Amino acid sequence: MPNRLELSGITKQFPGVLANDNVSFAVKPGEIHALLGENGAGKSTLVKMIYGIMQPDAGEIRWNGEPVVVPNPKAARKFGIGMVFQHFSLFEALTVLENIALGMDAKVPSRELEARIREVMATYGLALDPHRTVATLSVGERQRIEIVRALLLNPQLLIMDEPTSVLTPQEVEQLFTVLRKLAAEGCSILYISHKLHEIKALCDVATILRGGKLVDTCDPKQETSRSMAEKMIGSGLKDIVKPEGRSFGTPKLVVNRLSTLSTGHFDIPVRNVSFTVRAGEILGIAGVAGNGQNALLDALSGEVRSDDRDAISIDGLGIGGMDTTERRRHGLCAVPEERNGHAAVGDFSLSDNSVLTARDRLGMVVMGLINSGAARTYTGRVIADFAVKALGPASTAGSLSGGNLQKYIMGREILQKPSVLVVSQPTWGVDAGAAAAIHQALVDLAAAGSAIVVISQDLDELRALADTLAVINMGELSAARPVKDFSVEEIGLLMGGVHGEAAA
Amino acid sequence: MQFRLEKRREPSRVVLYSAPLIAVLLTMFFGAIIFSAIGYDGVGAVREIFLTPITNSLKWQDLAVKASPLIIIGVGLSIAYRANVWNIGAEGQYIMGGLAATWVALLTHGMGGFWILPAMMVAGFLGGAAYAAIPAFFKTRLNVNEILTSLMLTYASVQLIYYLVRAPWKDPMGMGFPQTRRFASEALLPNIVPGTIVHAGVPIAIIVALVAWFVMSRSVFGYQVKVVGSAPHAARYGGFSENKTIWLALLLSGALAGFAGALEVSGPFQRMVPGFPTNYGFTAIIVAFLGRLNPLGVIFAGIIMAITFVGGEVAQTTIGLPSSASGIFQSMMLFFLLAGDILVRYRLKRVAPQGEARA
Amino acid sequence: MSTELLIAIIITVVGASTPILIAALGELVVEKSGVLNLGVEGMMLVGAITAFVVTFTTGNHYLAIVCAAGAGVAASMIFGFLTLSLSANQTATGLALTIFGTGFSALAGQGYSARPVTLLGPLFPAELATHPVWRVLFGYSALVYFSLIMVVVVWFFLKRTRAGLILRAVGENDLSAHSIGYSVIGVRYAAVAFGGAMAGIAGACFPLLLTPQWAERMTAGRGWIAVALVVFASWKPFRLLAGAYLFGLVMTMELYAKAGGGPLSSIPSELWAAMPYLATIVVLVLISIRRDASSNAPACLGRPFLPSN
Repeated sequence: MPNRLELSGITKQFPGVLANDNVSFAVKPGEIHALLGENGAGKSTLVKMIYGIMQPDAGEIRWNGEPVVVPNPKAARKFGIGMVFQHFSLFEALTVLENIALGMDAKVPSRELEARIREVMATYGLALDPHRTVATLSVGERQRIEIVRALLLNPQLLIMDEPTSVLTPQEVEQLFTVLRKLAAEGCSILYISHKLHEIKALCDVATILRGGKLVDTCDPKQETSRSMAEKMIGSGLKDIVKPEGRSFGTPKLVVNRLSTLSTGHFDIPVRNVSFTVRAGEILGIAGVAGNGQNALLDALSGEVRSDDRDAISIDGLGIGGMDTTERRRHGLCAVPEERNGHAAVGDFSLSDNSVLTARDRLGMVVMGLINSGAARTYTGRVIADFAVKALGPASTAGSLSGGNLQKYIMGREILQKPSVLVVSQPTWGVDAGAAAAIHQALVDLAAAGSAIVVISQDLDELRALADTLAVINMGELSAARPVKDFSVEEIGLLMGGVHGEAAA
Repeated sequence: MQFRLEKRREPSRVVLYSAPLIAVLLTMFFGAIIFSAIGYDGVGAVREIFLTPITNSLKWQDLAVKASPLIIIGVGLSIAYRANVWNIGAEGQYIMGGLAATWVALLTHGMGGFWILPAMMVAGFLGGAAYAAIPAFFKTRLNVNEILTSLMLTYASVQLIYYLVRAPWKDPMGMGFPQTRRFASEALLPNIVPGTIVHAGVPIAIIVALVAWFVMSRSVFGYQVKVVGSAPHAARYGGFSENKTIWLALLLSGALAGFAGALEVSGPFQRMVPGFPTNYGFTAIIVAFLGRLNPLGVIFAGIIMAITFVGGEVAQTTIGLPSSASGIFQSMMLFFLLAGDILVRYRLKRVAPQGEARA
Repeated sequence: MSTELLIAIIITVVGASTPILIAALGELVVEKSGVLNLGVEGMMLVGAITAFVVTFTTGNHYLAIVCAAGAGVAASMIFGFLTLSLSANQTATGLALTIFGTGFSALAGQGYSARPVTLLGPLFPAELATHPVWRVLFGYSALVYFSLIMVVVVWFFLKRTRAGLILRAVGENDLSAHSIGYSVIGVRYAAVAFGGAMAGIAGACFPLLLTPQWAERMTAGRGWIAVALVVFASWKPFRLLAGAYLFGLVMTMELYAKAGGGPLSSIPSELWAAMPYLATIVVLVLISIRRDASSNAPACLGRPFLPSN
């Protein structure tokens, strides 16, 4: 039997980057094939070419043994290639049925379509009401729409782009069941991820990319996580250096029964959240996206103020009623998840972006006028200390890559030496080297006596970084405990909403 | 040969600042072609509209007098648009400023005093600001689109002039004309160049623009306006209130438009007439864009727009071009400017046709 | 109130409402595709002068309507090219289009002022409309029936057809629609052109349905009211119908207030003239108090789209 998909010598050049350099590998029928690599390794570009969103500059794609050109996604679907994107291409205001109908190339009467949807859902155990509006669905349910949409085309190859980044461990298990069943029926699966334990659990073959080049094609079950990670990242892994035997000081940030109001349908509010972070301590907050993390960050940073002055206090001073500027004066800095447009202004120079949060703490304002010299000097320091790849303080924030912008933002806050720092997703989309540098900077800041809160969906990150851990689910926060007391299973249960001692 | 747009790493400053000039040149070029095509003397039209006002020194005073309200209103609008606040009702705020000043002038008629003119200016300021406060209130409280409210208020304010000059403020000695009496000399804007029509509003316009430039480029307030306009979410994170900024932007742009109204009514008009709304408030929208929302740029853009106004009048008498032609030229300029904006962020790149690429 | 007066009121209200309704239906489709075209007023003026000139020279009203629609499309394509192909700022471009339409129509209408044309007559034979009640049903010109049919057509298109679903999808999430393989720009061009045609026809209503002559700026802000109505109707065609008729009522109120005598007739006519604009503000405020109304707005409204690759 010929290979389902075979790539040979695929090359794709972007201005300034060789995204794929002579990549060749094959996927057999019924095989679950992992495509493994860091952010920026070229995984997305590669599958975009398979799915017809982009065209390779050189190389050949063979489909069931025949050389083919995939001019567009429609053609890809015609071949029998389905794809589930990392960022769902869903329409919030439309129903599940309408969303699926939009993804169908052939015009199917909606009654017939609904019947087929119900059939597919029954076959694979995917529960979903076709008439619900997408805006009311959870992230896991939304992913199911994408999967159903792909399955309706009876694909011979299903591409899954980072499908588990938004799921609880339990939802991940359900997804794997579906994928294994599909593979058993002969559908090949190209599974893109950088989560090594998932790949070991699910995949038959793994192709590893690094810097656009194919590094290795291996059997993940024969490899250790560490050996795959080294292939993925290259020059040996750097561990975070945590000073041994640290002791924590007095409580610095105390949050006492903090609740927020509902703001919109993008995130749910937090209810009765309480925790304490001591000087030198890093508290990790784990949870699946959309469980109140944004509301929590906004409430802590001061973007949303609390009616209760004492809901949040620093060194015993109630700051609940203060805005972000006043909180910064009292030593609390924060970094939201969204970099461009929230933590930084894309159209502004880095220097002007420094004015955004550092103007008061670093004396950049004199009598209502901005001292742009001071802003430039400080920005230069951030660029140097955090190895930000930018032409200089005058570069616009929007011209930086995601990872570099994140380094700049983290540097901008950390160099202000805040006594309390709250960060969300500090290394999302950042390459491994930069992530390690950011982690080290956070650990060093804590060692210097600051209290740090890290909100993240990356359990590996939290387990490496945090001293204590709490889990947020549906706007409620579990009790914080030393991170080493948690097992992955327990965190997973908490993330899925099983609370209390029964789970412990 | 095909072209493709490719994102620039950094927005091009060269394109940003040269685009208005290129837009003017393209307008002259295509304007000549279009007006020739529809049966006018196209080259003559462009010459009379764009060049005569500059080359004929007798027209300079007209330019200065026409440019100053455009600059004052344009400065206010450039600040509002920077804040992403779309006040397009400057014409209405200009009218209300003019009416407020008129009210003071009529009320104080017969009283002497140096304070009358300043009081009229303050009234103009407040009148424009108060009228702009309506869209600001609804925008910040209920998120009602300020474009629609400010524009609807403009239409309403025109009716208010008609009403006032027809009934309560009508000049009893005016032989039935719907207009107010001529203001007393204390309520008239002084000329600053004897023998011309150049009034005190001209230097004031330049001062307003310079002060606004300094504030916008150096102060925390200017920074606040720009952050709220380009990234409201980041502004909140940086500690700036979006609602406060919307209020300030609308009040400031309204106040300046009202101030321009007060200057106009006490200067060139000398009384309130139904013809007081002369579209300065709408033309100032083009001025703000052509000036790149930068107060210094607004000075030049205001002069260019004044040229098309004065030139339009010249062309009307010399070659019989209809007065509406200047409106066409003005909107063409804006079209070309907006079309060119994409080249600030993108560059045109020549690409080989498909097929050759994969040799 | 006598039946005669009531019928007269209904007929004037329907006439005054029709241009707003037609323009607003076009703008509704444009906005549903995620584009905010504030040039409606300008396109209407272009349509009005086109319809006037064609009627004046040929005497053929239907040809005039078709030409007005074509002129509206042409004007809308200026907007489309700038905002869709060059992703220029939609608000600014829409304003520029209105300024352009005002200037263009004034230029083209030079020398035509105070020259009368004939109004477009009723569609149905006069025998059908002899009785006053029948007149309410059958006494209008084709433009009125066109506007009513288009309400149903637009509703059906958006709700029941696949093309309408795609259009809504493009307005809801342009990036997703693009990634599925729909031509975002193509769909939006089509929507903008439809909006232009409708605005052109709406403009034609002024010389053909309301006042049989050309006057500069004769649309008097009705295009802006149409834009406001779309918000008021929360992007729903049948609510648009109700809203347009409500405005028709406000706009013609002066007529019967004057006719009816009593305290209303002493209100200065300037206040009556200002009423539609003030009513627009009131209506926008009222609709905003109901929080959920704006949640029906297309998510991509006014956002430029430029595919990244």
